[in-house]
Amino acid sequence: MVKRWLNRYLKRKQLLAQAALEQRFIVIDLELTGLDPKQHEIVSVAWVMLEQQCIKLSQAEHHINKGVKQLDQSPVYHGIAQQDIAKGLSLKMILTQLSAHFEDAILVFHNSTLDWGFLKLAYAELGITVQPKLILDTFQIEKKRLHQQGHDIALDELTLSACRERYELPHYTCHHALTDAMATAELLLAQCHQISRGQVLKLRELL
Amino acid sequence: MNHEQQEVAQFVMAQTPFNHLDASVTEYFVKHLDVIYLTRENQSQWLQSASPKLFLIRSGLYDLVDAKGDVITRLAQGDYFGFPSLLTGEEIKNRLAVQKEGIVYMLNQDAFDYLRREYKPFEQYFVRAHANRLLSSHYKSQNESWSERKISELMSRKAVTLAPDASIRQTAKKMKKHGVSSIMITEFERLVGVVTDRDLRNRVLADEVDPKDAVSSIMSAKPKFIFENNRVFSALHLMLKHNIHHLPVLDEHHKALGMITSTDLLRQQKSDPVQLIGRIYKAHSVADLKRYAAEVPELLRGFSNNIDDISLIGKLLSGLTDALTSRLIHLFQEDNGAAPTSFSFICFGSQAREEQTLHSDQDNGLLLPNDLSAQHQDYFRRMGEFVCEQLVECGIKRCPGNIMASNELCRMSISNWCERFFKWIKTPTPEAMLNCKIFFDLRFIEGSTALYASFCEQLTRISRNELFYAAMATDIKSNSVPIGLFNQFKLEKDAKQHKYIDLKKRGVVIINDIVRLYSLKAGIRRANTQERLDALLKHTLLSNHDVYNLKDCWRFLTQLRLRTQINEEGLPSNCINPDKLNSLERHQLKEAFYLVKQAQQAAAFKFARGSL
Repeated sequence: MVKRWLNRYLKRKQLLAQAALEQRFIVIDLELTGLDPKQHEIVSVAWVMLEQQCIKLSQAEHHINKGVKQLDQSPVYHGIAQQDIAKGLSLKMILTQLSAHFEDAILVFHNSTLDWGFLKLAYAELGITVQPKLILDTFQIEKKRLHQQGHDIALDELTLSACRERYELPHYTCHHALTDAMATAELLLAQCHQISRGQVLKLRELL
Repeated sequence: MNHEQQEVAQFVMAQTPFNHLDASVTEYFVKHLDVIYLTRENQSQWLQSASPKLFLIRSGLYDLVDAKGDVITRLAQGDYFGFPSLLTGEEIKNRLAVQKEGIVYMLNQDAFDYLRREYKPFEQYFVRAHANRLLSSHYKSQNESWSERKISELMSRKAVTLAPDASIRQTAKKMKKHGVSSIMITEFERLVGVVTDRDLRNRVLADEVDPKDAVSSIMSAKPKFIFENNRVFSALHLMLKHNIHHLPVLDEHHKALGMITSTDLLRQQKSDPVQLIGRIYKAHSVADLKRYAAEVPELLRGFSNNIDDISLIGKLLSGLTDALTSRLIHLFQEDNGAAPTSFSFICFGSQAREEQTLHSDQDNGLLLPNDLSAQHQDYFRRMGEFVCEQLVECGIKRCPGNIMASNELCRMSISNWCERFFKWIKTPTPEAMLNCKIFFDLRFIEGSTALYASFCEQLTRISRNELFYAAMATDIKSNSVPIGLFNQFKLEKDAKQHKYIDLKKRGVVIINDIVRLYSLKAGIRRANTQERLDALLKHTLLSNHDVYNLKDCWRFLTQLRLRTQINEEGLPSNCINPDKLNSLERHQLKEAFYLVKQAQQAAAFKFARGSL
């Protein structure tokens, strides 16, 4: 037990010393019916792969959870209607596909507390054990960066679009899980470049 | 699977050639894209000869730089690069200088080849883009500089017109039928008015006007218009200056051809000099103006090394100076009350000729009605001082010769101005000749056009003087062209023993002088040399052949001059060392000087009876 724990610790330490931009990432975004993992549901899951500083649209995925019961929030906002749900997959299939990437890619979210909170619970309920090697959060990266620059941070300055604006990234109007996943991936690239400024950026510096 | 990539797809679909192609092309393109964040640090890793790619810019600003380090073109949102290597398989020689990092879409060779094979228009677009880059000197295609295009090239819609006695309802119906937001009211094919959607709302609905009334009662009579041969830039300038969104286009016989809208024009626009002029015309404070003016040098960087944009640079800078001046006059009136009488703010010299450079200084003046009271004179003194002072703050230097509206010698009534001109014409001393060269190039900027027109008329009348023409021709002849015996260049030397030819003083200026002289004789009221030459085509003073020669020479020398301003180091500005030219350019330069010399002699013969 201790040995396994130690092994994991060493592996993580090794990983954190590596150059961030050379890693493979999976950038994930969820559409949810609410904010509480215990009573709300996952409507859809989208992810894009980011490797060698490239976001690969050919490997982007977006799947709707066929089993979703409540669409409390306006379906217009999600852009998902009942007939789309019928075409979706079971949450188990989606999450199995997703976790297949956990072995070789670092997870990235914008505000991981929420999204990873939902995923963790869903994996536990489905009886799937997952052990991501590392989770990055563009929300936390931005918070830390602003904090270090001595800014007082209001919460609305850390939304995905507010963060993107700070890097003059294009303004996206649709809020679709896949768009947001891509927007997060672009944000991560911009943040890495801004923080590193030509130096080698170690993963540790992004935590 | 990826049809949900809405943001990317929407953007791609709006770009040429995708906007002309089936949606499935966009879908394929999007599906195979890689998205990168392009920065100074990582730019070199994407431009690899071993794996050429097509790049489409989503955000950021990049200069495409050739192997010699010269900027080929500035790339911004919606621009492509990388396609030459995809098409030819040749090595990548250009690199990118990142001005502002951003998101760039990347397509690999396989996907590009697939689209090329399957969709001919896709291939044609990139093959043509490649050919354009190769053909034009310094790669830049003339067609790409949108604001130099002629209006006629952009105007797609046919004229929708109606007679002035048509009812308002008929007008609305016709607009609905043709799906237009504005209509031209014409009488015997001549434009008499314009009606827009807004007029129907503000002047009909809101005022409860009977729709059976004749449309002439609600139209905007005597609207602004533009000729089909004018440049897009002029149309934009006019629209922004007068805050109008619809501009009738006429042919040279004033026949209505169609309507051009601000949306039509903005669609053409990729960079933002015109937006800047627009913002200047809307600025609410001097502080705003100063901020906008500070953006100008950076803006010009995008144009600098670009030969086809050269005449545009002068126009652009003059346009900016005009806009600043005009806005300052408005701001002055906001604070000090409207002008008590009519006035015209005018400019002279290079600003009037629209040949300004970043280093040009102010040349302006105020034209006032005769017999002003002391109080009114004081008002205009303060206006002149305010405008000139604030222009300095905006980066346009004071005129060393004090040709500025703040100087009372440049702030005079029509009769005093005429008297001043008349004195120069009567006694053509060298100093008077110098003044004539500056002051006879004049252009209206702001205020009363009627006052300006009446002044021009009087000026034409007093300048009609054969002795004066002879003096000018003699003066022109005294400025020698740098070609010696046996057709050799005559070089000048500076303190550091550089040998050079002054292209401006010994070339461009002489042509400007000759053209001014002919224009005065022909009574042409234009200041821009190219426009004067165009107008001279309609006169018999110069043969068309001579006019075209002068036009070509002017353009050649100006282009060479601007190129040397950027490339040659150690030489005075506007100067060139002919040894640095290739043999074709050297030959062309000699030819140009030879033609200038001929034109000089012809003018002397015509106006000074060959007395020299």
